[in-house]
Formats: sequence, C-alpha cells, structure tokens
Amino acid sequence: MTVTDSKPIDLEVSPLGRVEGDLDLRVKITDGVVTDAWTEALMFRGFEIILRGKDPQAGLIMTPRICGICGGSHLTKACYALDTAWKTVLPPNAILVRNIAQACETLQSIPRWFYALFAIDLVNKKYAKAKDYDEAMRRFAPFVGESYEPGVVLGAKPVEVYAIFGGQWPHSSFMIPGGVMCAPTLTDITRSIAILDYWRQEWLENRLLGCSIERYRQIQTWEELLEWCDENESQHNSDLAFFIRYSMGIGLDKYGKGYGNYLATGTFFEPSQYATPTIEGRNNALITRSGIYANGVDHEFDHLRVSEDVTHSFFKGTGSLHPWEGVTEPIDPADGRGQGKYTWAKAPRYDVPGQGHVPLEVGPLARQVVAGNAERQVWQSYDPLVRDMLGKIGPSIFLRTFARLHEAAKYYEMTRAWIDQIDLHDRFYIKPVERESGKGFGSTEAARGSLSDWIVLEDGKIANYQVITPTAWNIGPKDGKEANGPMEQAFIGAPVEDMHDPIELGHVARSFDSCIVCTVHAYDGKTGKEMSQFKVNGML
Amino acid sequence: MATLLWLQAGACSGNTISLLQAEEPTVIDLLTDFGVELLWHPSLGPELGEAVQAILRDLVSGAKPLDIFVVEGTVVQGPNGTGRMDMFAGRPMTEWITDLTSVASIVVGVGDCAAFGGLPTVPPNPSESTGLQFHRAEKGGYLGKDWVSKAGLPVINIPGCPAHPDWISQIVMAVATGRAGDLTLDEYHRPSTLFTTFTHNGCTRNGFFEYKQSTSEFGQGTRTGCLFYELGCRGPMTHSSCNRILWNRQSSKTRAGHPCLGCTEPQFPFDDLAPGTVFKTQKVSGVIPRDLPSGADHLTYLAAAAAARISAPQWAKEDMFVV
Repeated sequence: MTVTDSKPIDLEVSPLGRVEGDLDLRVKITDGVVTDAWTEALMFRGFEIILRGKDPQAGLIMTPRICGICGGSHLTKACYALDTAWKTVLPPNAILVRNIAQACETLQSIPRWFYALFAIDLVNKKYAKAKDYDEAMRRFAPFVGESYEPGVVLGAKPVEVYAIFGGQWPHSSFMIPGGVMCAPTLTDITRSIAILDYWRQEWLENRLLGCSIERYRQIQTWEELLEWCDENESQHNSDLAFFIRYSMGIGLDKYGKGYGNYLATGTFFEPSQYATPTIEGRNNALITRSGIYANGVDHEFDHLRVSEDVTHSFFKGTGSLHPWEGVTEPIDPADGRGQGKYTWAKAPRYDVPGQGHVPLEVGPLARQVVAGNAERQVWQSYDPLVRDMLGKIGPSIFLRTFARLHEAAKYYEMTRAWIDQIDLHDRFYIKPVERESGKGFGSTEAARGSLSDWIVLEDGKIANYQVITPTAWNIGPKDGKEANGPMEQAFIGAPVEDMHDPIELGHVARSFDSCIVCTVHAYDGKTGKEMSQFKVNGML
Repeated sequence: MATLLWLQAGACSGNTISLLQAEEPTVIDLLTDFGVELLWHPSLGPELGEAVQAILRDLVSGAKPLDIFVVEGTVVQGPNGTGRMDMFAGRPMTEWITDLTSVASIVVGVGDCAAFGGLPTVPPNPSESTGLQFHRAEKGGYLGKDWVSKAGLPVINIPGCPAHPDWISQIVMAVATGRAGDLTLDEYHRPSTLFTTFTHNGCTRNGFFEYKQSTSEFGQGTRTGCLFYELGCRGPMTHSSCNRILWNRQSSKTRAGHPCLGCTEPQFPFDDLAPGTVFKTQKVSGVIPRDLPSGADHLTYLAAAAAARISAPQWAKEDMFVV
C-alpha cells in the first residue's frame, strides 16, 4: 500500500477542526485490525542547513537544542564527532564524565517517560474490568497516582548530577573536543554519590524493584524474571512486577511487534580504549555495544552502511544518501503531497549484509537485544535477559517497555562505578589542534535510541552536518521501496476494540517514545472515514 | 482558577523539560495547588484526547476564557510565509497563534525561541522563523511591536535557552495569582525582577574577574581564573539570574567552567556561530575584549584592567577550585 493509492484516506476531507501535533499517525483499520499506517512529522526548523558554513564547534551549541529531552545525548555525539574529525586525545577523566552525564540524562528519563507518558494509558477505561485495575489506578493515575508524582519529581535527581559536572541540564554544552570543561572537586564527587544514592533508595529500589539492585541484576532469563516477581512480598508489590503482571493480563505482550530487526550504535566508552577517538576504533571501545540484530543474526555496526531516503519526505529528490553526502533541501509540503511525500522526517535505512537497505528499530529494546550477544570484549556489557525474552515471548509493547525499565538498574550501577574511577588529580581536557578539514562521526544512545552526527569540515568551517535521531529511525516514513518505517510497521496487526478510543494504538506509539508529540488518526479501511483521533503526548 | 494553555510552536521542548526540574513549587504542585487550571500541554496532559480540539475551538470563540497563553518555540513562517513548516490542528501554527493571542488575557513567551526567534532564526533562517514580538533584538516579530494582550500587556518574555524552571514557575504563579500588574518589564519585555542582574552576579569566579586573571584553558585549567578573557564568557554582559538561582539546585554554567553563552539576550547565539567565534573571546587590537561589561568603554576598561592586574594578590594567580 503506498500513499498515492490510498485514496480513501484524504487528509483534506475531514470537516472537523482536526488537532494535530508535531507528528500525525494515520492508521487504517479493517475489521478491527490495523492494516496500514503512515507517520507524519509536521514541523521543520532546518538545523542542518543552519550549521553549514558555521564554526566547527557550532554543533555543540546547536544540536542539543534540537531536542530538549535528549540535549545531553546530542551534545555527547556532537562532541565525539568532532573528536574524530579533529583527531583529539581524551584523558580517561573526560570519557568518564561524559559517560556519567549521558547515563544521568537517561536515568531521569526512565521514570518520567514510564509514569507520565506510558503508564497513564494503563488506567484507560478499556481496562476497567481488568484484574488489578484498581491497583493500577492507585499507582499510575495521572498527577495523583502513588507512583506518578515521585516518578516524575524524582527524575530531577539524576540530572542534578549532570549539573554538577555540566553546569545545568537541559542544554549544557560542557563537552568539547579534547574533554570536558569542568574540573570537579572532591565535594562534587561526594555530592553526586549522595544524590544518586537517594534516587536509588527512593525510586529505583523502593518503588521500581522492591529489592536491591544486586538481586535484580542476577536475573538472566524470562523464567527467572517471573520467579523474581513472586519471590517475596516486596518484589511482588514493586512497580516493575506489577507492570509485568498487569500488562501480560491486558495483552500488551501480544501486539506492537514491528519488524523484530534492531540497530544500536552503542554508547559509553571504556576510557583505556578510546583515548584517541577514531571512527574505526569506536565499536571496540564501547561499553554498551553497537550492533545490528536482523532476522536473528548479529552483525557489526558500520556507519558507512547508513543512508537516508527522502522518497516520501518533504525534501527535494527521491534518492538515498550516506549522511556525509546528505542534503537537506526542504520543499513546500503542499507541493510535496502531490509527489507522494508526507512527512518532514527522512527515512534512515541500514544496508544489512544480504538484506539490502532495511528499516531497523532503535531504542532500549534494540540496545538490550544487542547486549545479549555473547561475543564481546571484557569491558563490554553483556546481559542475556532481554534477548532471552525476545526468543521466548517475541517483541511487543510489553517487551519494549520492559527493556526501558530494565536499563535503570544497569545504568545506575555503571554510573556509580564511573564516579569511583574519576582521578581528581588527573586531567579532564587536552587542548586539541583545531584542524581545518576532516570528516567525523559521533554517536550515542539517547534514552529513546541511537543518535548520530556526521560532520564534514572544510576551510575551518562546517561544510556538511547531518543528524539522525532515534525518532527518525523509528517514526520515519516509508522508503523508495515502500517499506514501512519501524513504528508504522509496529501498528500493523494491532487490534482495535473501540474505534472511537483506540487506546491500543496509543500503547504502540508510546512504547517507541518518539520525541515529538503525535496525533493518531484512525480511519476505517473500507470507507476511508476518520473514526477517531487522539493525542499522544511526547517528549519526556 | 486561572486557565492556562501551553502550546509548542517550533520548539525543542527544552523549556518544558526545564520546568520539570522545578522544586518550589514542583510542576505538579504548580498545576494542582496554585490555582492554575491546565487546559492542555503537549507533554503533561491532562489526557484530553478529542476534547483538545473542542477546547481550542471554545477558546477561540470566547466560550471559554483563556487567562494565560504560554508559547514555547519559534514562530515558523516558512515556506514563503505560509507557515506550512509547522502544522498544528490542520492549520499552520501561525494561524493558531494569531487566534489564541487575540483572546488571551496574558501571553507569555517562554524560552529564547518564543521571545526572540532563537536558534532557528540564525541565517539563512531556513524556516523563516521569528519571535512573538521580537526578531532577535529588533522589535516587531510575528505579532508586531505595538501588539498588546486583552489585559493590555505586551508578550511577557521569559528568555533563556532554556529558561530556568524557577523563572517560568515563579512568573506563572505571579500571573495566576493576579500579580501581573506587579511585573515590570525591560526593553526586551523580560521581567525586571529576574533580568536586571547579570549572570556575573553571584559567579564564583568574580574574584578572578576583579583582578583580570584569565582561565587558561578548559578542564583542569578552570580550577582558577575567569572565563571572560579567553573562553568567550558573556556573563558580565548577560542579564540573567543563573548565579543567583542555581540550576538543578546545584550549579551554573560558569561555576562548572562553562562560558556563559548569553542565551537570555536576543542576540543569542552571538555572531551567529560564525567560524572562530565559539568559545573564544572576540577581541579588538588583538588584546582587548570586543564586548565589555555593560557600561564600560574600551579606554577606561584598559586602564582599570592594567591597574587590577598590577594589584592582583597572589591567590588570584593560583588555583582556587581545588580538590
């Protein structure tokens, strides 16, 4: 099904004053099941165009401001991109502080996203007769739920640690080629430990897990996870065990599958392995690994295999280009519609050996599947749980959400260890040579998935700058071969019980945590009539 | 109860995210305890579903009063003035802004983008963006220089990239509790109570500034010195309370060795990020900072600096922020 032959669905037909956010999802429902989907990003600011001709370091100021929630992640990858282009040398402290900052941004996001954006749908009236509905209300009801407020408010704690190193969160630019701007003191370290410890006790252990991090981290299989849930009263009553039990009860493990093919570009570096950041040496130096898991096979990540297709995007042309050669030439959406274009997002694709350029899902589920690859260096994180679950229960809304929550304990452990490794008497920065020309690639894992920059420097300024966000990977449109974007694909097969309140689609959309607000429009596949629409809040 | 609608135009959501860090009051307390009825917000709900469009319709028709209209993000006018680069509710966001600003008692522009146009307006400004009532430092913007709200006030600007959470929550509280009349605004429509002092006020590096002692480089170099002379810090010229009301209750850019970028000023980003301007102090005659602390001129500055350097005590030449 292509956009051009889907005549029954005509955006201009609706006589209603329709409410669209920055992202529209058009979903076709036939006999109660989603049969096709289109995602439409509706806002364009043109940062890649602005960056051309600017100072090489302009991306450190500009790109964090692409997204307020992932600003620290934007900074991380923008900085590593410059590190590779300028061939800097990084002291171990700089890598540790960058790791800590990146992890803290993700730690703040996990509870806020879960309670404020995802879990509020678990108390939808559709589930009023479900077992434990009252308990779900007690915990997750917006603003008043017993877990909602602490989850949202305590999310501020991990980024207090970010501010200790970076001055503020969001929108710091404290990572610079060659290191970081700060030189922390002893009390910066002790205070950071105390803040994180408070957060661990108040939220991570007491509310989310109901047990120590150490106990939770022993879990390696789906069966062990289920045993853990009922091992004692405290674990049974934890938000995580409740979420597992409740979402299995309401069937969140049954749909929202997507392609089941994943990409992680990885994040966090082992200081001893990345003192001289290079594109070639990146995979090996990562702690949370990069990798592709497609059709059940692991592949090594190679940024040269990434391209962006603009066939259905509001940009000139139909081609597919590697980001170093990438162009961003916007056209009027009104003209674009006539050419079958329907979104401001480009469609990133990855050339998987033997499969060609395919869409890949990014995010916590992708990261955790890749983390289950046993082949690794000693400093690389290995965690078989989510891959084990993928094999036994398959991908779903449930597994995507579980993977996100699962990362809280892992990231906390790593962050604490990195703080302990900081040598206050060693350097945090080595002044680099500001090279006139070069090419760079930097990438990280934002909470919601892989985030990368490609930079080309010529004559001491930026000649080309391209960013691929996790939201583009996941909510990007169909490509020249009419293959759906990953989230479009995940809608297909979703059952919709009440055409006027398709909460099921909300679960799917929220499980991807796209970083823009989206509006879902549900259409009757036979008549093309718009049955309902609702907002999926974004950006936490 | 004061009704509040928060919309995002060409926004990164950074001001919303910033507001979530507020503690006194927390964002939840702000919305549940202080007489603010949140009609809709793109991240926080409350979940209204199809009711969102009804509310917008009722606000525009006047059936429901709109007391406070908060805009986050730049006003995207492209392509070719159509506004189609930022669609909301089936129409260009510009049309919603026109309609809603005309019925709102008070309009608040949160963040640099809504206030002055912000980063998206940096040339070539591919989205043809502008601020609500300013285009960078020039008065006018989308609504025009003479525009006033139903309450007779111009757009109240809370700039910053992002705005500090307390700046947002305190001003919203002031307005919601009927104290809009107490707000005095400066030439850029910023509340004077927050934007009269400089980032410099309260900066822990002031002692070094006083004796003109420079930080040599980032990292361990920031254990001493002031960031103004070599690393491009705009603290002495930037109106903000970043060092009076700390960020995330912990720190500020300059305290962490990060030069102030001047993000509460309409010219941000300064020099439009031209090559050679990022994290580097711009100079005249190779030595004197081009931009001097507000009110100073180059000649007097030079004389004062020479005297300060001569009188600098030993401690001003040593590390102060030590392990």
